[in-house]
Amino acid sequence: MHILLIEDDTEAAQFLVNGLRESGYTVDHAADGREGLFRITEGSFDLVVTDRMLPHLDGLAIIQLMRQKGIATPVLVLSALGTVDDRIRGLKAGGDDYLTKPFAFAELLARIEALMRRTSGVPDATRLKVGDLDLDLLARRVTRGGREIELTARELKLLEFLMRRAGQVVTRTMLLEGVWDLHFDPQSNLIDVHISRLRQAIDRGAERPLIHTVRGSGYVLRLDP
Amino acid sequence: MRLALFKTSAFRLSVSYTLLVMAAVGSTLGSAYLLTQSLITDEVDLIIDAELKGLEEKYAMSGVSGLTDEITLKVDSWGRVGAIYLLVDPEYRKIAGNVTRWPFEGMPRENWPEFEIATIEPGRRSAHPVRAAVRTLPGGDRLLVGTDISQGRRWADKFRIATLRGIGLTILAAALAAFWFSFRLARRVSNVTDTCQRIMAGDLGRRLPVVGANDEFDAMATSVNSVLDRLEDQARTLRATFDSAAHDLRAPLHRLRTRMDALLLRSPELKLEPAVHDSLESALVEVDRLQRTLATLLQIALAESGAALASPAAVDVGELAGELVELFEPVAREAGLILTGAHTGGLIVRGNRQLLAQLITNLIENALKYVPAGGRIEVSVTKHGDDVRVQVSDNGPGIPADDRARAVQPFARLTHAVRPDSSGLGLSLVAAIARLHRARLSLESNDPGLRVVLDLAP
Repeated sequence: MHILLIEDDTEAAQFLVNGLRESGYTVDHAADGREGLFRITEGSFDLVVTDRMLPHLDGLAIIQLMRQKGIATPVLVLSALGTVDDRIRGLKAGGDDYLTKPFAFAELLARIEALMRRTSGVPDATRLKVGDLDLDLLARRVTRGGREIELTARELKLLEFLMRRAGQVVTRTMLLEGVWDLHFDPQSNLIDVHISRLRQAIDRGAERPLIHTVRGSGYVLRLDP
Repeated sequence: MRLALFKTSAFRLSVSYTLLVMAAVGSTLGSAYLLTQSLITDEVDLIIDAELKGLEEKYAMSGVSGLTDEITLKVDSWGRVGAIYLLVDPEYRKIAGNVTRWPFEGMPRENWPEFEIATIEPGRRSAHPVRAAVRTLPGGDRLLVGTDISQGRRWADKFRIATLRGIGLTILAAALAAFWFSFRLARRVSNVTDTCQRIMAGDLGRRLPVVGANDEFDAMATSVNSVLDRLEDQARTLRATFDSAAHDLRAPLHRLRTRMDALLLRSPELKLEPAVHDSLESALVEVDRLQRTLATLLQIALAESGAALASPAAVDVGELAGELVELFEPVAREAGLILTGAHTGGLIVRGNRQLLAQLITNLIENALKYVPAGGRIEVSVTKHGDDVRVQVSDNGPGIPADDRARAVQPFARLTHAVRPDSSGLGLSLVAAIARLHRARLSLESNDPGLRVVLDLAP
C-alpha cells in the first residue's frame, strides 16, 4: 500500500511518515502543494494524505486539479482549520475524509485503513455476515447462530457500520460521524455506552465475542479475538 | 418581510397625488362650466334688458294701446327666436303677449326669475325653461320679457356631462398611473429588502440590482453595494485572521500531540516506566482538552464577529433533538438520571445542523454534569408562534437569577457550582450558536432547576 503525504510542517510530517511506515505502509513525502500534485500525476498511489494549507498550492486545489485530470485516488484532508464550514468545503472539493489537527495517530490509521478498504469492498450489499452473525438489511433482521436479536433502529445502524468494516478498527469519532452524523466531539463517553449495549445484545452468552475494544483507538468487529 | 402594497409610502403618495389631480381638474373644469353658463345667461339678460327698455319707451310714448300693438306685432312677426312677452294689468290679467297667463304669484322677488312654459309643438308637449325680467309700468300694468333658454340649458347640460366625463377619465388615468408607479416603486424597494435579507442570511456575495436607469434607486444601490463590498472584504479578512490564528495555534499542538503519540506507540520497545507511560497518557488527555477549548473559543469568536452562518440548510430540529435524546439516554441512565424528549418531526428551521446539534448537545451535557442522580432532564421541541422552540429543562440546582446573564459569558464559572472538568465555555458556545442563527436564548428558572429556552425563526 503506497501513500503520499503532502505536509509542509516537516517535523509533524516526519512523525507521520515514521508511524505509517511502522504500520506497514510505503510512504512518500512532498513538502509543498506543487511537488505534491507533481508526484500524484507522475506516480501511482493508493491514497493521498494532504494538509489543507500548503505553500504554492492549497490542499483543496490539489484535489480539484487531480480530479479534473481523472485521478480518482482517495484523499484524506488534514486541517488545522476546524470549523464545520471548513470540513464541508473540504469534502465538497472532492476530499474523501477530513481530519482536524491535532488528531490521534490511531485516528489517522483507522481512517486510512477505512479509505483503503472502501475502494475494494462491496458497499451496497444488503446482507452482511460475520461468523454466525447475520444482518439482513432489507428485512431489518439480525440473527446470531439462528437466534433472533431485537435491536433498535440506531443499534441496527451501528451494527451495520461495524459489520461493513469487519476486521477493521473503527474509532469513536468515526462512529459519531458515520452513525449519528455528528461532526464534533461530545465530552461524554457516549459511544462506549452504546457499544456496550450492542455488545450485550450481540455477544451475551456467545462463546466467541465479536465486538472487541482496541485500546487507545476504538472498536473492531471480527471473529478472532 | 413583504409589505402589503397599500401600506407602502409610494402607494400613499400616489393616492394623495390622485386626490390632488382630482381637485385640480375638478375645479378647473367646474369653473369653466360655471363661467360658460354665466356667459350664456349674461347674453340673454343683455337682450332682454335692451328689449324691455325699447318697450318701456314705447309705453311712455303711446300708452297701453301702443305697447299692446307693439307686442302683438313682435309676437306675430316671428322676430327674435324664443322671445316671450306678456303684458298684464295690475290684477295680473293678460292684456297682450304670447303666454297665456302670469307665471308667478304676484311679483317675483328675483331680478331674473325663471319659469317654465308648456309649449305644444307638432307631435309632442314639452316644457321650456324661460328666463325673464319684469317691470311695473307707471300705470300699474306689468310687463314681462323673457327668452326661451332651453337651447342654452341643453348646451350647458352637454358641457356638464363632458366636464364630468373629463374629470372621471382624468381621475381614472391618474389612479392607474399612481398604481403602476407605486407598484413599480414597491417592487424595487422590495427587491432591495429581499436582497438585504438574503445578505443577512449569509449570502454575502449578493448585491442590490442596478438596472441602469441612472435614477435615485441606482444611485442608492450603487452606494449600498460599495458598503457591502467593504463588509464582505472585512468578513474575508476576519475569516483569514481566524484561519491563521487557528492554524498557528493548532500546528504546534499537533506537533506536541504527534510527538507524545509516537512516544506512546513505541513505549514497549523504549521500555518506558509504567508511571511515565501513564503520565504521558494523561498529558495527552490534557492536550485534547486544550484543543477542544481552543476549537470552542475559535467557534465563539467567529460567531461573535458577526460572520454569517456557514452553509445554512433546512434542519428538522424536532428530529435532531430526538436523535440526540436517544444518543444521550443510555449515558443519562448510567448516571442515574431520566432523560426524556418531547418532540415531533417536521419542525424545520434554516440553520447549520452540526452547530444546532452542538448547541443541544452542550445543553444536555451541561444538565448531565450539574443535575444530581435521581434528577430529570427534558428536551422538548415545539411550535411557538412562527418560531420553533427548543427547551432543555432539568430539576437540578439551577442558576440563581443574578448569575444567569453571566452564565453565557466565556469562562464564567459560577460561584455555586464549580466543576474542575468544566471548560466554562459550554453555555457561551450555546449563546454564540444561537446568535449565529438569530435565535433568542433565555435562561429561566424551572422551579426548581434550570430551563434553557431557544426560539429559532423558521
